Amino acid sequence: MDALTGESQIVYDARGLVEPNAEVPKVSSIDGTKAEFDANDLTTRQINLELRWLINEQGITDVTVKNPGAKHSLGVGILTRCKITFEGSLGYFGCGVIDGPEVHIKGRVGWSSCENMMSGTVVVEGNAGSLTGAAMRGGDLIIKGRLGARTGIDQKGGTILTMGSVGANTGFMMQRGRQVICGDAGHGLGDSMYDGIIYVGGKVRSLGIDCVPGEWTDADTEFIDRKFRIYELGTPPAFQKFVCGKKLYNYDSLEASERKLVL
Amino acid sequence: MSEATTNIATERHNPELTIGISAEYLAGKRFDYQEDINASADVDLMESTPGQDINWLEDIELLQEDGVPAVFDRYSNSFIKIYFEIPKGQENEVARKVLLKHLQSGNSYGIKLKEAHAKFPQPELGPWVKNSRIVGTDWKPSVLPGWESPQGH
Repeated sequence: MDALTGESQIVYDARGLVEPNAEVPKVSSIDGTKAEFDANDLTTRQINLELRWLINEQGITDVTVKNPGAKHSLGVGILTRCKITFEGSLGYFGCGVIDGPEVHIKGRVGWSSCENMMSGTVVVEGNAGSLTGAAMRGGDLIIKGRLGARTGIDQKGGTILTMGSVGANTGFMMQRGRQVICGDAGHGLGDSMYDGIIYVGGKVRSLGIDCVPGEWTDADTEFIDRKFRIYELGTPPAFQKFVCGKKLYNYDSLEASERKLVL
Repeated sequence: MSEATTNIATERHNPELTIGISAEYLAGKRFDYQEDINASADVDLMESTPGQDINWLEDIELLQEDGVPAVFDRYSNSFIKIYFEIPKGQENEVARKVLLKHLQSGNSYGIKLKEAHAKFPQPELGPWVKNSRIVGTDWKPSVLPGWESPQGH
């Protein structure tokens, strides 16, 4: 059997929305609270079913997924404290809508990883595509490589830290949270941001509307030093700080019901 | 009837009187940790969150709702109002402890909806409580009594 990598190997229902096989494969080798399985011959749905079965029903707290094969939407909807290691790369929408897990991805990730992440930590050893951390609400997302465009678009909380550079429109409509960019930032950094902080260690090609330099405080130093220490990232570079100029939009001008949308 | 109880009852029967939705409005009652700082003093913020710092709680700050100190519960889109005096310099820490107490107690309205509406297995009380009961293992679409699909559907 060919490895189930690439969209041509995945079979969907007549509407093209879901893989029909909803049976948990139960192929993991389990040792106490640890488990490991090879995802090479499993579909996206089977991999996610296996993960949830292990974590929610078998009391497993530490899972290793071998050969994830850059399949899309892996590790989504994990809503509990656990450790997950992907020994390879993930495709689009990896680890979306998670709340609590500590994830280690030993490869790269495609578009929109960790979208709507609520809490937990995700460490990616390689690069990440565009829209990483879109609408993220909390937790730490550490990318040791580079990031694509619109990183943290609509970010509502949490921390996105990259050791490399980011593409255009990073922090677009950012509403809360923090971004730490050790490399360069593309055009339109922080465009239309409402709030939040963006730290950049390299050059900024251009600032977006209402994104302005901010005043460095002791709290900024404490935050940067803490994150670099926790994730063993070495000595942090000198950063510039950028914040919202509050000329375009800000919390104070929002109706109460609108304000909740950005909390 | 106390003034607080009257206000909640008034809001519940006249929803248009309030713009925001508070946790006590959703629950129909006020919780002890909203009135007593000691009721949430035992919450361990580090232990209750993933990673080596307070993680997602870093974004949780003491806010105000209807002129009252409050902390926002993103799991039910509502504010938890705080009625006790908050010591200066401890505003955010107190807000975080009250929020976690609310979530860990299972009083968040979003948690209460899980039993009936969770579509896949997940811990009832979320990632803040170890060994929480799993819900969502046998989800079935809810059926409105007496409802029939329209002709042609």
